[in-house]
Amino acid sequence: MKRLTTILVVLVLAALVSMPVMASVPGELLIWSDGERAPILTAVAKEFVVEYGITVKIQELPFGDIRDNLAIVAPTGEGPDIIVGAHDWLGQLVTDGLIEPIDVADPSLFLESGLDAFTWGGQYYGIPYAIEAIGLIYNKDLAGEDGFQTFEELIDVGMKLRDEGKYALVMPQPDPYHTFPFFSILGGYVFGMNADGVLDPLDVGLANAGAVEGFELFEYLMDERILARATPYDTMMSLFQNGNAAGMITGPWAFNDVRSAGINYGFQQIPSYKGQFGRPFLGAQGFMMSAFSENKMLANLFLNEFVATKDTMLAIYEGDPRPTAFLPAADIINEDPDMRGVMESAAEGIPMPAIPAMNAVWTAWSDALELVINEQSEPQPAIENAVQLIIQTIKDSGY
Amino acid sequence: MGKMMKGITLGLLNVVFIWIALFLLNAEAYLVFVLLLLGALLTNFIFITPKGYPYRYLLPASFFMILLVVYPIIYTVYISVTNYGTGNILNKEQVIAQFEERYTLEPSAEQYAFQVYRDPQASLWFLFTDAQGAQLLGRDGEITRLEAGDPILMQLAAFHELSRVELVQATNELSAQSFAYDDTRELRMRNINSFSVYLQQYSYNVESDQLIDLQTGTVYTPINGYFQAPDGTRLSPGFRAVIGFDNFRRLFGNPQITGPFVSVFVWTIQWALLSVATTFVVGLFLAILLNDPHLRLRKMYRSLLILPYAIPAFISALIWRGLFNTELGVINQILQATIGSSVPWLQDPFWAKVALIILNLWLGFPYMMIICLGALQSIGAEMYEAALVDGATSWQQFRHITLPLLMVSVGPLLVSSFSFNFNNFSVIYLLTRGRPPIVGAQTPAGHTDILISYTYRLAFESGRGIDYGLASAVTLVIFLITGAITFINFRFTGALEDVSKNV
Repeated sequence: MKRLTTILVVLVLAALVSMPVMASVPGELLIWSDGERAPILTAVAKEFVVEYGITVKIQELPFGDIRDNLAIVAPTGEGPDIIVGAHDWLGQLVTDGLIEPIDVADPSLFLESGLDAFTWGGQYYGIPYAIEAIGLIYNKDLAGEDGFQTFEELIDVGMKLRDEGKYALVMPQPDPYHTFPFFSILGGYVFGMNADGVLDPLDVGLANAGAVEGFELFEYLMDERILARATPYDTMMSLFQNGNAAGMITGPWAFNDVRSAGINYGFQQIPSYKGQFGRPFLGAQGFMMSAFSENKMLANLFLNEFVATKDTMLAIYEGDPRPTAFLPAADIINEDPDMRGVMESAAEGIPMPAIPAMNAVWTAWSDALELVINEQSEPQPAIENAVQLIIQTIKDSGY
Repeated sequence: MGKMMKGITLGLLNVVFIWIALFLLNAEAYLVFVLLLLGALLTNFIFITPKGYPYRYLLPASFFMILLVVYPIIYTVYISVTNYGTGNILNKEQVIAQFEERYTLEPSAEQYAFQVYRDPQASLWFLFTDAQGAQLLGRDGEITRLEAGDPILMQLAAFHELSRVELVQATNELSAQSFAYDDTRELRMRNINSFSVYLQQYSYNVESDQLIDLQTGTVYTPINGYFQAPDGTRLSPGFRAVIGFDNFRRLFGNPQITGPFVSVFVWTIQWALLSVATTFVVGLFLAILLNDPHLRLRKMYRSLLILPYAIPAFISALIWRGLFNTELGVINQILQATIGSSVPWLQDPFWAKVALIILNLWLGFPYMMIICLGALQSIGAEMYEAALVDGATSWQQFRHITLPLLMVSVGPLLVSSFSFNFNNFSVIYLLTRGRPPIVGAQTPAGHTDILISYTYRLAFESGRGIDYGLASAVTLVIFLITGAITFINFRFTGALEDVSKNV
């Protein structure tokens, strides 16, 4: 009998102890943030407690895990109220029903393209804090003080550099994101716009005349050993860090590695070809709100009043320097030449399509690049086959 | 004392059971919950009654087998007949709840500033003011227009007006309030400063199981995990639904999926066989060398040769990935310098496979060497003496004594090594990621993909985003194939036991 009592007591205790672990808590905000943003948000959370007496908890997760974990955890009611994320998650998160629109109090505070990137069906789904676009990081000792204004110029320099065993250009391969400027330079696009200004998933423009010509330029550069062939990101970076490459197509995340190698570098937008500029994808990062939040109004309030402020945005910038999407902070941040360069490149950018159909594009496109990089196919048939596949996959998925 | 220990152990066990059970309940995993409950009851029964004593050791084993083996298999079967994946993550109730909570803002929506008062009974009174200064009273879901100097204003003034901080703290309570504006519209909280007029977009009819668009009158019926209008328009998000054998039909009915599947399957078998064969041959060869007592510095060689096994495969694989790099890799630079041409490792389908076999040889031969060394030591010296007397050559000795006796102990390990390599995801993924791609494949598939990496890519990198349904279907097919192979393996190992009986 005594034993039974012990068991019962333990059972009750266990039930009591384990309850609070799972309760979702209205009246308290939970934010999933990556490591770079977490300390800044923690400081902002302290101000929020002082002002309103409402606790904001920050849970740190690797940036790339946030989206997938949200899909697993949010429907069970244990998820966060707010997440940090990239705009290209939008399509998947909205189609999955995992995030909800945010009431942006003053849209004029944000760079239009940054807010556009977080817009879906005419509604804002995020408060952007940073935008980014790739460009050309160039080695001033090899490419000259002003870099390469045109691909024609880059080819001339490349012909000389290859005799020294050096490349005029390196980039991560195969990588559709970094190769997109070659497709866009003479008029290629991923999805066309229909009359309503909405992306049409069945109008894929990666194999139109301009795209094929740009892709052929890409192949020509590799054939002439002006562009290094089949270099993964790390190989590309070490070529550039060792002074074996004059230019590198990449984004602001590479600045630290380049600086630490002691390279005398500059950042410019992608050079022009036949008088037209290669337009990169524009990306944006921001804060989004879970559809399963128990505190939607509070989350909106926190984002609008405590995150969309000059102080917070500058702190986010200092923690991890990227061009800001918040205009009141832009003047200060643009004093940095690197950031100004990225902003200029982003000004030419095309928002990377966030519709779920984009999933069908990446794999087929990357395979087409790989076939050309591996010299197993000519650009035109490779990309035409890829586009056919993309459209078929999109139709099969029932878009 | 012993009884007390038993009581404490059982108590702790029950704590764990309850803890897990609550999590399962919260995650709505009812099937696992029921299984767990049965397991917990059985455990208590067996511990408490002396009759259950014999089952004390059998029970935990079968319990964990059900939880960790049987349940996942059943769950995989279930997922394979659903559309679980991007766009169909939530369950139907959650999706309906989302549609019902969808409100659209009137295009010309006026904003109403508001004040909130709490009366002595702690219930809330709302006072709305529009842009023209006209005032409305909100109470119990109804609004009434107020004239200037309405006596109710005096009454409100006597109540406690919520300060801004109090408003923020009460946001969840406030945002749950709605006031009928007219027959179709509602006044709802828009943000901390204002209320606005909203229209409800959808209403769900429980009897007909349909969703009705209140503005257009369109009726949406649930079909294959989506609410669908008569003209075929689907509402997003969709929900998880059983869609029958569609995933299997996709797998077998579409040559652009079947084609890669067959080629992936053939390579998987080749890969597993070649991996076992190469590592075994090299391992055995080295073991025989090291087994020779005349060899000097044997221990040193042995330690050095085990090193590749001691270094984590993740590190080795990434180093080899660098070595195989076409432009800058050491291997190609040596080839370029010696024979003047280089090999497109990792880019050409054939050479990528060669590279994988080389890498796996490097990672796997020490294991084979170790088990062969052990097995060689167990073969008695008198056998070889007898063979010498009979005038057998050393090849004959190897062929007729060493190999058959070795196979007795090593044979089953070769079989398990085959199964291991059949599912050796990490080596494939770290070196080639399944690449180079198969031309024209509609699912992500590469020339060096084995079934398990193909499934992984299908689940997480498919055209649709995440496609658990199709991936589960492929998993089941793989399960059947590996099941068949294992069955044949068992017969094979049975044959080996006969050899040992005959010796």
